[in-house]
Amino acid sequence: MSRIVVASKKPVWIALTVALVIHIALISLQGHRRIDTGFIRVWVLDSLAPLEKLADRLLFGARQAWDRYIVLVGVHEENLRLKRENDELRMQVIQEQEAIAEAERIRALAGFKPSGIGKPLIARVIARDPARSQTITIDKGRVHGLRPDIAVITPAGVVGRVIQSSNFFSIVQLIIDSQSAVGVMLQSTRRQGILKGTGGPDLDLDYIDDDNDLKEGDMFLTSGGDRIYPKGMPVGVITSVGARRGLLKVVRVRPSADLGRLEEVMCVIERQEKVDVVDPTQVQAVP
Amino acid sequence: MNRITTLGLFGRFATALIGVVVIQGILSFKFKVFGYFDLPLICCVYYGFTLSNPIASIVIGSSLGLMQDSLSGGILGANGLSKTLIAFLAASAGQKFAVDQLITRVFALFLFSLGDDILVTILALVVGPTSNPTYSGAMGSWLLSATFNTLFGLVLFGYHDRWRDATT
Repeated sequence: MSRIVVASKKPVWIALTVALVIHIALISLQGHRRIDTGFIRVWVLDSLAPLEKLADRLLFGARQAWDRYIVLVGVHEENLRLKRENDELRMQVIQEQEAIAEAERIRALAGFKPSGIGKPLIARVIARDPARSQTITIDKGRVHGLRPDIAVITPAGVVGRVIQSSNFFSIVQLIIDSQSAVGVMLQSTRRQGILKGTGGPDLDLDYIDDDNDLKEGDMFLTSGGDRIYPKGMPVGVITSVGARRGLLKVVRVRPSADLGRLEEVMCVIERQEKVDVVDPTQVQAVP
Repeated sequence: MNRITTLGLFGRFATALIGVVVIQGILSFKFKVFGYFDLPLICCVYYGFTLSNPIASIVIGSSLGLMQDSLSGGILGANGLSKTLIAFLAASAGQKFAVDQLITRVFALFLFSLGDDILVTILALVVGPTSNPTYSGAMGSWLLSATFNTLFGLVLFGYHDRWRDATT
């Protein structure tokens, strides 16, 4: 009887061993980077992401129907409030346009090259990762010009970078992921540093020239030094400056972009470098 | 006829597994709280307990884990390895213990969830960069996740019991 039980158990151990060996081999191959396992991800992403997109569109449609046709209570008051806000914003835009025109004139005089973030591509977020690492899936891929290491941003701040692209979808690693690092500079003092993801909601300061003048509320911008993110984009705000641990103070930074509520993002598919270096041939004498 | 039945069963399982991973991705994106749930893990334990078939459970665990890894951008194989072990242990437990007991299910779901998080983190430490791989609130997040998974798993098992009682 016991022999029969032992015989019937054998295939289970064989199956378990085979499965474990396959997974360990996959992990090992990635660790030593001997074989690119990206094709497996691309295949699964191309197979499953359309389903995620379909589900996202269905949920989006249902929410639109609910918002547009069912929940209309208080729309009139909201309309009036928005009109007032619109008027105020128009005034602000006019003032901003004046300021930009003035800045352009000064830039032209000084011979600065124009600044900008490059060619943006709007993508819709269709899913978050199913394994609780900090990544999102967007509905644009290689055919739209996306490839690994393309910066993903929102007007509020930096979101992350593309780490995997299939034909029509891409996986974006958020800046809060524990494997992420962003080259930054402090807005006030222009000191350069590196912010690293923690896997939680915040970022940690990993390096800075001098941490003596850091204080809560200071804003970090991208430095452009990592050659991924365009220079001058908001990254995050210092929320706490703790005691020194090793060479650096423990500094926590809250991302400027609301990474928990991303709907649409911008991918910078053609970077335009922001070079604040004076070209001597362009400088003209200012009377 | 028998082959058609087998194919139909296989198709149903495949659809269910793909559905679980897709639903996890969508819900985590739409509702922040679902980031703490691990539906594929609950699915592994559920099939392990209810099928009590270790080979089928190993296949299910491996497939779910690999799909999770592929869509997450994390280490390919980390969740696969973890889910394979958990599915196997759940199926073995289903054969040996009375997994119909509430207390057994609570313990099993909680420990499997915690074990999954710890194993995946260790694998990330082994393969990925050694600096700063986890954040200080990781343990709290794991405990919260284990609690959510336990509660959701109990609800799922409750439905399974009612369905089984109704059909027998």
